[in-house]
Amino acid sequence: MTLRLEYLPTTDSPLSRLDPRWKLAGLLLSIFVIAVLTTIQASLLALGGAVLLAALSRLPLGWYLARLAALAGVLSVFVVLLPFMLHRGDPEWTLGPVTFSWYGLRVALLLCLKALAIVTLTLVLLATAPLNANLKAAYALRVPRLFVQVALLTYRYVFVMFAELSRLRVALRVRGYRNRATRHSYRTVGHVSGALLVRGLERAERVSHAMRCRGFDGQFRSLDAFKTTSSDVVFFLVLILGFGALCLWDFYKG
Amino acid sequence: MLVGLLQRLKGTPVQKDPAIRVHELMFAYPGGEVALANVSFEVASGESIGIIGPNGAGKTTLFLCLSGVLPVKRGVVQLTGLDPADAAARRLLPTKVGIVFQNSDDQLFNPTVFDDVAFGPLNLGLPAEEVHTRVAESLARVGLTGYEQKVPLHLSAGEKRRAALAGVLAMRPEILLLDEPSTHLDPRSRREFIGLVNGLHVTKVISAHDLEMIRETCQRILLLDRGRIIADGPTRQILANPELMNAHGLEVPHSLTHHADKHHPS
Repeated sequence: MTLRLEYLPTTDSPLSRLDPRWKLAGLLLSIFVIAVLTTIQASLLALGGAVLLAALSRLPLGWYLARLAALAGVLSVFVVLLPFMLHRGDPEWTLGPVTFSWYGLRVALLLCLKALAIVTLTLVLLATAPLNANLKAAYALRVPRLFVQVALLTYRYVFVMFAELSRLRVALRVRGYRNRATRHSYRTVGHVSGALLVRGLERAERVSHAMRCRGFDGQFRSLDAFKTTSSDVVFFLVLILGFGALCLWDFYKG
Repeated sequence: MLVGLLQRLKGTPVQKDPAIRVHELMFAYPGGEVALANVSFEVASGESIGIIGPNGAGKTTLFLCLSGVLPVKRGVVQLTGLDPADAAARRLLPTKVGIVFQNSDDQLFNPTVFDDVAFGPLNLGLPAEEVHTRVAESLARVGLTGYEQKVPLHLSAGEKRRAALAGVLAMRPEILLLDEPSTHLDPRSRREFIGLVNGLHVTKVISAHDLEMIRETCQRILLLDRGRIIADGPTRQILANPELMNAHGLEVPHSLTHHADKHHPS
């Protein structure tokens, strides 16, 4: 297995030129609406809307599909298991001890459609503005300062820690280590995890020193002056009205 | 004050207060390990001094005490008249003292180079225009104009070191503390960094194992071992003393050895 961690791509599209605050608020509300949908038809429409936004955002196709494929891998477990595990008294097919439920299949399908739509909108959000811009927008939308700071630092240092882990893995391999289901392997993984934690802690201390030496007093300060334009408001309203209408339709249909 | 006035009337030069004054500084870590013992020295304004010594000599601890990160409980430390032990003075310290850490990744914690260099000025509460001016000035000074939107992780070691220095210069410090500044640098980046450091006309304290760099950047050296100052004197005099250097786990730099004299005229 190869360890890979990539920086998020940045696209140049109409959506990437929007004020991150309006975009974040609109997309998060849309994600919430999708999460509460109960019908397959509404979820299908939501997925269509999300894919349309992905197309407008000019997401790199390979990058987008690779993420959907990873999600499909996770969802396939539910698709396979739910029809045999969820029963509601509907007409069912029985073959010996195994009972297949249409209701279970419907729930699995609903889950897949909603998950695909939500992940698509999340990818649109991540790819149309740098993460730091999204986090600063979140701060402007009154997300707690501590959460934003921790998220920013995590994003910055996850790559450094990952590079450290890669070096540790090389150090193990050059001394003949291979992952096996043995006690020695488990102990080694434990030691590596411990070493990584200790190094992480030491680094966190050094980063904290560096921040204090440049006058950090716990306040989050930023120069990003967000500016609302009419296109931001139009985007937000279209998104909210569209997904709001979908939610109402779903409510009366379901 | 009266002495200064009299000297000025007589036309003799005024003895300025030292930029750094350390008197009988002692520091022990919570485990009881003594890192600094009775350390006393002064650094004149504009002077550039090197701190050398073997691993574990207390160089980094001394830097952390000078920058106010570690609390000074015994002894006196004053930087441009500010005492880091005093809470109010400690808040002012970042405007006077800048420290460049050994590992630049520890110092570049923001998502872009611009954000990182702007971090200090923003903490000072400066207006946006002034922040932009300082960022542009600092990046130009270290030769990183155009790197504003780059991600620190994607920079080379030399660029990271220069970006870290820009972040400190944006605070316009009077004293610069450089901890092992040439570590991880390739020869060209090291050479460029030495040129950069020599072009900075502030008080500098440089800790390094790279004695050739110390020879090129510092007029005076403090030799530290096991938390004590062993020697304090002109750079060449200390570095060229093989008995002293060997006794403290160091070596005379190649450029100061006798056989190298014809290649490296001083």
